[in-house]
Amino acid sequence: MRARRLGAILAGIGLLAGAAAAAQPVVDFEPAAVRRIRQHGPWPPPVARDPSNRVSGQARAVVLGQRLFFEPRLSATGTIACATCHVPERAWSDGRPRGAGLAPLDRNTPGLLDAALHRWFAWDGRSDSLWSQGLKAILDPREMGASARHVAAVVAADPTLRCLYERVYGPPAAAEPVLVDVGKALAAFLETVRSGRTPFDDFRDALLRGDRAAAARYPRAAQRGLRIFVGTGRCSVCHFGPRFTNGEFHDVGIPFVVAPGRVDGGRHEGIKRLRADRFNLLGPYNDDATGTAAIKTRHVEPHHANFGQFKTPSLRNVALTAPYMHDGRLATLRDVVRHYSQLDMERIHTHGEQLLRPLRLAEAEVDDLVAFLESLTDPRAASGPVPPAVAANCAGR
Amino acid sequence: MEERRGAVRRPPPGRALSRGPGRAGLVAAALLAGVAGAAESCEAPAGFAARERLASKDVVVMFRTVPEAIEVGRHFSVEAVVCATPPSQRLRVDARMPEHRHGMNYRPTIAAMGPGRYVARGMLFHMPGRWELVFDVERGGRTERLATDILLE
Repeated sequence: MRARRLGAILAGIGLLAGAAAAAQPVVDFEPAAVRRIRQHGPWPPPVARDPSNRVSGQARAVVLGQRLFFEPRLSATGTIACATCHVPERAWSDGRPRGAGLAPLDRNTPGLLDAALHRWFAWDGRSDSLWSQGLKAILDPREMGASARHVAAVVAADPTLRCLYERVYGPPAAAEPVLVDVGKALAAFLETVRSGRTPFDDFRDALLRGDRAAAARYPRAAQRGLRIFVGTGRCSVCHFGPRFTNGEFHDVGIPFVVAPGRVDGGRHEGIKRLRADRFNLLGPYNDDATGTAAIKTRHVEPHHANFGQFKTPSLRNVALTAPYMHDGRLATLRDVVRHYSQLDMERIHTHGEQLLRPLRLAEAEVDDLVAFLESLTDPRAASGPVPPAVAANCAGR
Repeated sequence: MEERRGAVRRPPPGRALSRGPGRAGLVAAALLAGVAGAAESCEAPAGFAARERLASKDVVVMFRTVPEAIEVGRHFSVEAVVCATPPSQRLRVDARMPEHRHGMNYRPTIAAMGPGRYVARGMLFHMPGRWELVFDVERGGRTERLATDILLE
């Protein structure tokens, strides 16, 4: 069922990309709408190193990180790898409402495409770097359940892993620094997991350069959906910029009761965990001597309103990462659009913030918004990575 | 990313709010204002290209942002020169989106850089729209608020 749906989306994207023969008139966009559309690009963005990670961008670290990403022995039981939940062929998510490592989890597994571009990591922003978020998954008893000592032992005991590690870092030291090195190598690999251009990007660029013929290849339904997105829907206020997210946290009316008597505090808990995190950017493992990378961590301020807030997800390749919302309660993009169409305002405004209102969309408008969201798909994003070409004897040293 | 500045405000009475010691303080302030040509003659130091100058009867705040162009989702600093009578003892800088009824998700740290000079680090506007940038100047037991709008697209 899911495979059929995915196939239909990709087939649709292929049609979008190549259907010059079916060119139709371009929807009229007001100048303000065009300015907002401009802000959703260009794509792809330039690649930037992570200053907090001294091996960011290093080819050998990428090779080590890729090997580690698919290594189930990093988990306490030897059964769960990062790739168990972040499945490359599923846009680096798992297709389940809620994730499950060694135990069931409360939240949907986020995809990892373009993860290096985030400001905060995980639905609650508990981590301020990609490398420290990887460590949390390794150490969390419900995810991989490992310890620094376990990870260091796995690296030391496997000749290939040890060799790859030493090519990047030199001989392994104490367990905790090795754990951090593993996290930084994983992050170096994930920095290479990037999505490519989409039909929307081609439309945006064509619109901005005044190429109406090229712009007209973008289906009218997607154009109408885009007009709602940047116009009356005001979706682009939070789903802002080239990644279609402002990187911050909002309450969008999803109940945060996980089970009777148990709630998910969202960003409220995330900030607490961030501050208590030994591996945050204010700690000893931040490689950025300038202090720039840690500005966000030093200044982030908790508010009462953070309770029940979750990170605004990127919408790039969103059609590939069903189900949706932080707890995976909505099965399809259509469900998501309908959620925003029928918002429960009493549920949302408990903290006084006034951002959202029900969109009250007609069914045809729902169709248009879904068509637009599906046009944010890179046709190659679901194919996953090329397997690492790392010889068992660590050749190329 | 485009940015448009809000109109320069010479804060009317409603925008230059004072909190302080009541009538006696106001009388004192009025007396001080009489000798407070300092505010009117306030000039930016050499090399300080102010983005905007905000003024009330006896407080002037000139500020610039670093980087100069504010972008949604990017941290920036606010450097301020404050001329006040009596001299400012402390400055607070904050921002909020009145239409959305929320502020920033980040609390800036304010450092004094010399007499009447301050820098607020760690600011971040996380949405496009109208932001109100607020300066609270403490001086002589009173706090005076000057504010201006910044419109981010």
